[in-house]
Amino acid sequence: MSETNENKTSKPGKMQVNVIQTRSVGVRRKRMIGAVLKNLLLAILSIIWLAPIFWLLVSAFNKDPGINYAHFFPSKGWTIANFFNLFKSNSAVMYLRWFFNTLIIAAFTCVISTIFVLMVSYAFACCRFEGRAGLMRLTMVINMFPGVLSMIAVYFIMKSIGLTESHIGMIVVYSAGSGLGYLIVKGYMDTIPASLREAAKLEGASEFDVFMQIIFPLCRPIVVYQIIASFLIPWGDFVFAKLMLGHDVKNYTIAIGLYGMLSKENLPRYFSQFCAGGILISIPISILFVIMQKYYVEGVTSGSTKG
Amino acid sequence: MKKRVIALLMAMTMCTAALAGCDSGKNNGGSEGGASGTTADPLQSLIDATSGTVKLTVWASDVTEAQDHTQELIDAFKAQYSSVNFDITLGAESESTAKDTVLTDITAAADVYSFADDQITELVNAGALQAVSIGYTYDVKAANAAGAVDAATVNGQLYAYPMTADNTYYLFYDKSVFSEDDVKSLDTMVTKAKAAGKKIGFEFGNAWYLYGWFAGAGLDAYLTDSGANTCNWNTGAGPDVAKAIMDYCAEGTVANITDDGSAVTGVKEGTYAAVVNGIWNSSALQEEWGANFGAAKLPEFTAGGQTYQMNSYFSCKLVGVNPHSENVGWAMVLAEYLTNEDAQKSRFEKVGWGPSNSNAAASPEVQASADIAAISEQTKFAQPQRIGGNFWDPAATLGKNLSEGTVSDIQGMLDEAVAGITAP
Repeated sequence: MSETNENKTSKPGKMQVNVIQTRSVGVRRKRMIGAVLKNLLLAILSIIWLAPIFWLLVSAFNKDPGINYAHFFPSKGWTIANFFNLFKSNSAVMYLRWFFNTLIIAAFTCVISTIFVLMVSYAFACCRFEGRAGLMRLTMVINMFPGVLSMIAVYFIMKSIGLTESHIGMIVVYSAGSGLGYLIVKGYMDTIPASLREAAKLEGASEFDVFMQIIFPLCRPIVVYQIIASFLIPWGDFVFAKLMLGHDVKNYTIAIGLYGMLSKENLPRYFSQFCAGGILISIPISILFVIMQKYYVEGVTSGSTKG
Repeated sequence: MKKRVIALLMAMTMCTAALAGCDSGKNNGGSEGGASGTTADPLQSLIDATSGTVKLTVWASDVTEAQDHTQELIDAFKAQYSSVNFDITLGAESESTAKDTVLTDITAAADVYSFADDQITELVNAGALQAVSIGYTYDVKAANAAGAVDAATVNGQLYAYPMTADNTYYLFYDKSVFSEDDVKSLDTMVTKAKAAGKKIGFEFGNAWYLYGWFAGAGLDAYLTDSGANTCNWNTGAGPDVAKAIMDYCAEGTVANITDDGSAVTGVKEGTYAAVVNGIWNSSALQEEWGANFGAAKLPEFTAGGQTYQMNSYFSCKLVGVNPHSENVGWAMVLAEYLTNEDAQKSRFEKVGWGPSNSNAAASPEVQASADIAAISEQTKFAQPQRIGGNFWDPAATLGKNLSEGTVSDIQGMLDEAVAGITAP
């Protein structure tokens, strides 16, 4: 046996193959180690990122209504009662009502501000008028100021026209200035060849026709991006809502309501429900995202190359 | 044409309003019988002077039971003064944050709102509280405990209606580990807890709690008229107290809890056999300890060979009236209604808050509560919370460092903390 082996291995051709094989084994091993390390790093990072969300999820099923952070997993057993209790409104916690308040505000804001953004973008990208460059520069400068700076001023303006403590006021606040966030959409519109518009105009199309029949269909990915972005702002906003919405529990949005559940007196009773509420608010966004996902990724990246 | 119509409409509204006023006045006169004819009863004159709808907003605590209870009281209030047309809206605002919200925009704040008494000075200075100079339905000063009236008084003038007298901290303990005698002294508690393998939790990193140690040794920290704090924690027994805190913590049985969440967690886990906390966590702790739940005044501690009774801050929840209200008179009547003896009794039953009203506090139901008994014991060693904003952070840092034992130069640490606290 050993002889035949020696014979075989002593063949020059086989020898070469072996060398190549050992080399490729070495390379493969290196690659393997590299891949393992990379994936290990990714795994660690994903654990770090996902752990809080996972904790929120398991805490939402905690039988203990209050907080206990000595355990990651519920120590007193599991229950789904938190979700049901959340929907049983009482005078201080009206989750379902808050949910729909927020949904209504977010839906209207989403529609209005998307329209605003599209209009502004179209004007800046496709129309040529005097002062266009100046206006664009001005909007850039205005965008540099954080929105919260104007918060108190906005509050008093809204109060003077009687729109505080109302959902209409909130919709106005969220959508009024949204046209300023036109940059990404405009960048996308810039990529659409001007010849398309010119051709349509030669055929006698008005600006509105051009917008509706040429620009809008071509912009679909970025419109989707804009819809999701506009929806998320009111959905997650706390500061403006807290300032503007007043103190009627019935009018609260989710963010204010959930915050109230963490007050000193409420914490021992509502903590698990708070977690359940936190899980539930992600559902509409997830649905919106899943529906529009295939456009979304395209939209986020495609506007960024030219702007 | 249009203008004329508007003028006509306005004239008509005014007439109706005037008539409505007459009407309600007459009705009341009738129901009260002849007696009310010429009396100077302020309530009756208020009713007589009222016409049209009285719009009021009320902010009460965001706790479910408190909201329910306040709504019940409002409904009862409307029923009691049925001759007047009320439009009362109830909102939620935690007492601990009321000041910030009210001062954001006083004119938009509620007509009647509840707040914690430590906010009263700033609220008065900002003109957000109506002075209580007359009592429509009861005498506020006579009906409430002296401490509560003090808490509602600024510069000798009463500015609010005391609603509760329970906002303080005291000792919660596990009766299976400590006897009622044990909890009188921290040293005994340490021995017992050690034997049982348990810990005693105290929130050293929170200036509100830490105050109790230094105040216990007779040291001062309060807000002066100049607007700055005065504090002498770095003198006299101060270094001894600081050393005592370090020693208690270093020994290991007395442990620093970081917040309410960890206090409750520690008890749930069985790590802590006693915690210093407040009435808001009482029900959570009762649930955990069951029949072994105990509440008592804070224990005595030893510092520099001396024994001191641990003190505490004591504050009340108060109900205030916004002077910017369109119906200050009715707002005051409503505030009285929300804080009168019956309201405080039912508030204790339904919300579990300890009454400031002397009669309500003396009722057997209230006296039977372990929490209230502990609070009233502790109140003897408690001071109202009159301290400026610069107190909190330096004192919290001091407490945290002492509990961690990272202080080598106690006197220097105290000097630094006092300098921060008394900074103008």
